[in-house]
Formats: sequence, structure tokens, C-alpha cells
Amino acid sequence: MDIATYKNDVWGQEVLRGVSWDLLWLVVVLAFIAIAAHAIYEASQSRGDRPTSEGERVNRHDAIDRAFHWIMAGSVFVLLATGVFPIIGLEFAWLEIHWIAGIVLTIVVAFHIVRSFTQDLGSMAVGPSDLKEALDGKTKPGKYSPAQKSMHAIVTILTLVVIVTGLIMFLQIDTPWWERTNEMSESALGWLFFLHGLSTLGLIAVICLHIYFAIRPEKLFYMRSMIKGWISKEELVAHHDPQRWTPDKSN
Amino acid sequence: MASFDVMPEVQLYQPVELGDALNLADELGEDGWLLGGGQDTYGWLKDRAKQPTAMIDLNGIEALRGIRDTNDGIEIGAATTLRDIIRDERINRDYSLLAQAANRVASPQIRNVGTLGGNLSQDARCWYYRRGLACYRAGGNTCYADGPEAMNREHAIFDASRCVAVSPSDTATALVALEATMVAESLSGRRIIAAEDFFVGPDTHIEQMTSLDTGEILTAVHIPSKWAGQRFYFEKVADRDVWDFALVSIAVAMSMDGDSIADCRIVCGGVACTPHRLTGVEQAVRGMSLGEQTAEAVAAIASAGAKPLNYNHFKMPLMENLVRRAMRG
Repeated sequence: MDIATYKNDVWGQEVLRGVSWDLLWLVVVLAFIAIAAHAIYEASQSRGDRPTSEGERVNRHDAIDRAFHWIMAGSVFVLLATGVFPIIGLEFAWLEIHWIAGIVLTIVVAFHIVRSFTQDLGSMAVGPSDLKEALDGKTKPGKYSPAQKSMHAIVTILTLVVIVTGLIMFLQIDTPWWERTNEMSESALGWLFFLHGLSTLGLIAVICLHIYFAIRPEKLFYMRSMIKGWISKEELVAHHDPQRWTPDKSN
Repeated sequence: MASFDVMPEVQLYQPVELGDALNLADELGEDGWLLGGGQDTYGWLKDRAKQPTAMIDLNGIEALRGIRDTNDGIEIGAATTLRDIIRDERINRDYSLLAQAANRVASPQIRNVGTLGGNLSQDARCWYYRRGLACYRAGGNTCYADGPEAMNREHAIFDASRCVAVSPSDTATALVALEATMVAESLSGRRIIAAEDFFVGPDTHIEQMTSLDTGEILTAVHIPSKWAGQRFYFEKVADRDVWDFALVSIAVAMSMDGDSIADCRIVCGGVACTPHRLTGVEQAVRGMSLGEQTAEAVAAIASAGAKPLNYNHFKMPLMENLVRRAMRG
């Protein structure tokens, strides 16, 4: 199975054209194998009672952060659908929807980056201590677990690559604001398409895992907090170290 | 690009039954090339710009040839030659628009062997693409015809999406105007496709000109009786009178109510990747009578919304003039 596809350029030289979309099936299959393996492992473990969602509540996600998450999720789904469906044979006029969703994603990510400087950046930073924390299995995390921080770091890298390559590709098509110039070399275009495609494949794998973990029974309270904003005090104590994360009470 | 004196080695299949052709098309998939009159095919193969491993010659299948009456109009086999269409009495009597369009295809020699199915299914004539460059249409990441120095006199002024090639078929405009339907068959069954949906633009299918799937064969074209014997107008403007593709063409089917136009369909060729209906003009002329006044009133609508490239602005006044001439009566 090839990683990339090639074509001859105007001079007859072989140049990179983009990622090989055969990898899509490999990525999806590997993601589902990982999910199945984790689900089987978890089913074999005996867990204690889950903390209740009743009682005192604490704030986990502000409304603006929840809005960011869901707008980003929506735009990513639209981008994946419009980008991948035509490749697997569901053909429709996808390009305009794709770049409009791309603009939405770019704006919300830019907003998120700016806003992150007003927040506790350290709570999401991944460091060597997170590895140690993940391995010992006893230390409770602050606001985010090592797994959540790692997921965020990977999504950040993939999203930034997909946005930067996407924006450069956006300059190569006609839009209401400019007309394309078609001046970029085929080789450079090939690398753009390759990186855009590769980061898309990475996002597909990560999103499969993200959705799986979001809907696992023991993690559903995180999903609830991303919708309603709060977790219960009992959930906080069970899964987090209140010394390392002291959230406000939720209304 | 290297040039070759001889054709490449290709396996040749010559089925005489449609079922065998469908089996071959299914079995060979994208490696099998459907061959009608060969007028589009041989250039591709000789230049090695397309390299199928096998050709399925459809000319020996009797069921794909001929013009037949149906309960609602006529059916033309996809392998019927353009010459047979031009000479057919029924077509000349009831659907002369198609005969006129077919009569302007290429040259007499090409019309003698070229088939209706081949003329409808032929690939784009953009020379950057035909030369074998890795443009969007060829699966690449760019369009050579829409750059600062690109020669795009013949290219699209409507509905371009990355690729700016135009539909080269003369008969396509007439069949869209006549509300024809295409019959496409495969091992999965038969699909009836409206002519307007048969031709597809680059926004949805950037590497195809038609909605035919791999393994499907265009077997016939059905023209309904709705427009039989109505008033028609066809005109094609090209650089040469013979053996040339349209810079702009127009096909018009009109039903008259006394002196006024009751209904009409106006389709332009050479301006978009698919036959381009002038729906604005169609609406504007309904209820009006043919004549200079109508022609002047509606001509400018024809080119509304056009996005010309560097060298094809001339297509806008050309379209308008063709509408004027069609509406003068």
C-alpha cells in the first residue's frame, strides 16, 4: 500500500500528487481495532461504583468554551464529510461547503488560541510528569488527565497543519474575494495536498478515538460537562485532585 | 511529450451481444475502454495520454444501432452514426434540431463513423488536458488553462469549478433542448437519465464529463414527442466551417401559440462544462413573439453571470448575438 500518489508534471518529471487515499481504510480499521481492544480490556476489569452526578456541582467548562468545542466539532465533521465522501464515491458539489466550513474552523481556532492566553495554559500542557502520572495510575490529575492533554496536543498539531495547508490551498481556487493565479509549482502543490491529506487521516483516527472515549459509560460525565458545563463534586473528587484543580461552584 | 507513429498494444474485444459487452465492461472496469466510432479514442491512445489495457468495440452490437419509434417519440441506438441521424426522415421531419446539430459535427468523414453515443460521451478538448498534463481533470492538483499566461480562448465562462474545460458535444445541446433521456445499462440494471443530468460539471465529477459509472454503457437516447415538429433553431460558431469544435453554439426548441412563444428551451454549447441552459432567457421570452424587439430585449440576459477568463470575453457578446438571431424568427 502506497503512502503517496505521484503524477508526471509539465516537464515529464514525476512529482508528488498527494496522499494515497487507500490509507483511509487502513486508518479506519486500525482505529476500530484499537477501540475494540480497549473496550474488551475495560470489560475485563472490575470497576467500583461510579460517583453520582447528584449533589453539589462545580464548573468545568465555560459556555464560551463549550460553544467553541461544538462549533469546531461541527465544522470538522462538515470538512471531513465534504472532503472524504467524494473520495469514497459519494459525489456532490463539495468544494464551496468545504471552504466555508474551513473558514469557520479557522476563525474558531484563532479565537481559541487568543483566548487560551487568558486562561491557565499550564493545565493543558503535556510534560514528562504526565507520563509518570499515567504510568503510576494512582496520582489523580488536575483539570485534564494525561490522556486528555495528549489528545489535545495531537489534535492541535493536526488541526494547525490542516488549517495552514488548507488556507494555502484556498488561495489556489476562485473565491468571491480573489481569482486564483495558478502560479504554485506542481511539486509544492503536491506537498500541500499530501500534508493536508495526511493530517486529515490523522484527524479521522483521533476523532474516532475521541468519540469512543466521549461515549464510554465511565467518561459520560465529561460529555455532559461539555454540554451543560458542570460535573458533580463527587465526580471531581473521584477523578481529579482538588488540590491541583479548584473549580468554581456551578450555578 | 513524445509522439508515436503507431497505436499502443491494446486487447480488442468485439462483442456482438449487449450482454457480453456489459459483462466485459464490468469485468474490465476502468481498464476497459468503450469504443464507438473511435474519433475521440484514437487520439488519446496514440498519444499515450490514456492507456487502457483493453478496448470494447460496441459497433458490432446490432441492438445499439438504428432509430426506432416508441410510444412517446423515438429511440436512437447509441452506436447509430451521425450520418444515419442526419439522413433519417423521421428525425428531419420531427426533430430537425438534432439533425442540424449532428450535421455540424466535425467533418463528413468523421460523421460517417462517429456515433451519437461517442459524440455525447466524448472527453473534454482542453489541450492542456489532451496533452497529458496532470491537471485537475487528469487527477492532478492544478489547472493549466486558467493561469496568467494560459491560452483559454475556447474555455468556459460559466460554472467552472477548478477545471475550466467545456463540453465539446454539438448533439448534447440539441438533446438537452429536446428534453431527451439517456438509457444507461450495466449488470446492475438500467438507468434512465435526463440529458441535463447526464452531463456533469467539475464541481461534482472533475474527472468525468458524464454521469456514466464504470461498467455502464450508454445504449440509447430517447427523445420524447413533446417537441416533435415544433420550431427549432441551431447555430454553431467555430473558427472553421468544418472539423472544428464550437466556440459557442445554440440549440433552441420552441412551441408557439399563434405568434407568441408558449414554451421554449434554449441551450448553449461551448460556454460551460455541460450544455448550458439559458433559463433566464427562456422565462423572459415566454408570451413574447419572435422578432427584433424580443431579440433585443432578451439578448443581454444570455451572458448574465458569466465569468470570462483572460482570452474568452468574446463569448459573451457571441452568446448574446446567437440569442438575438434565434429570437428574430
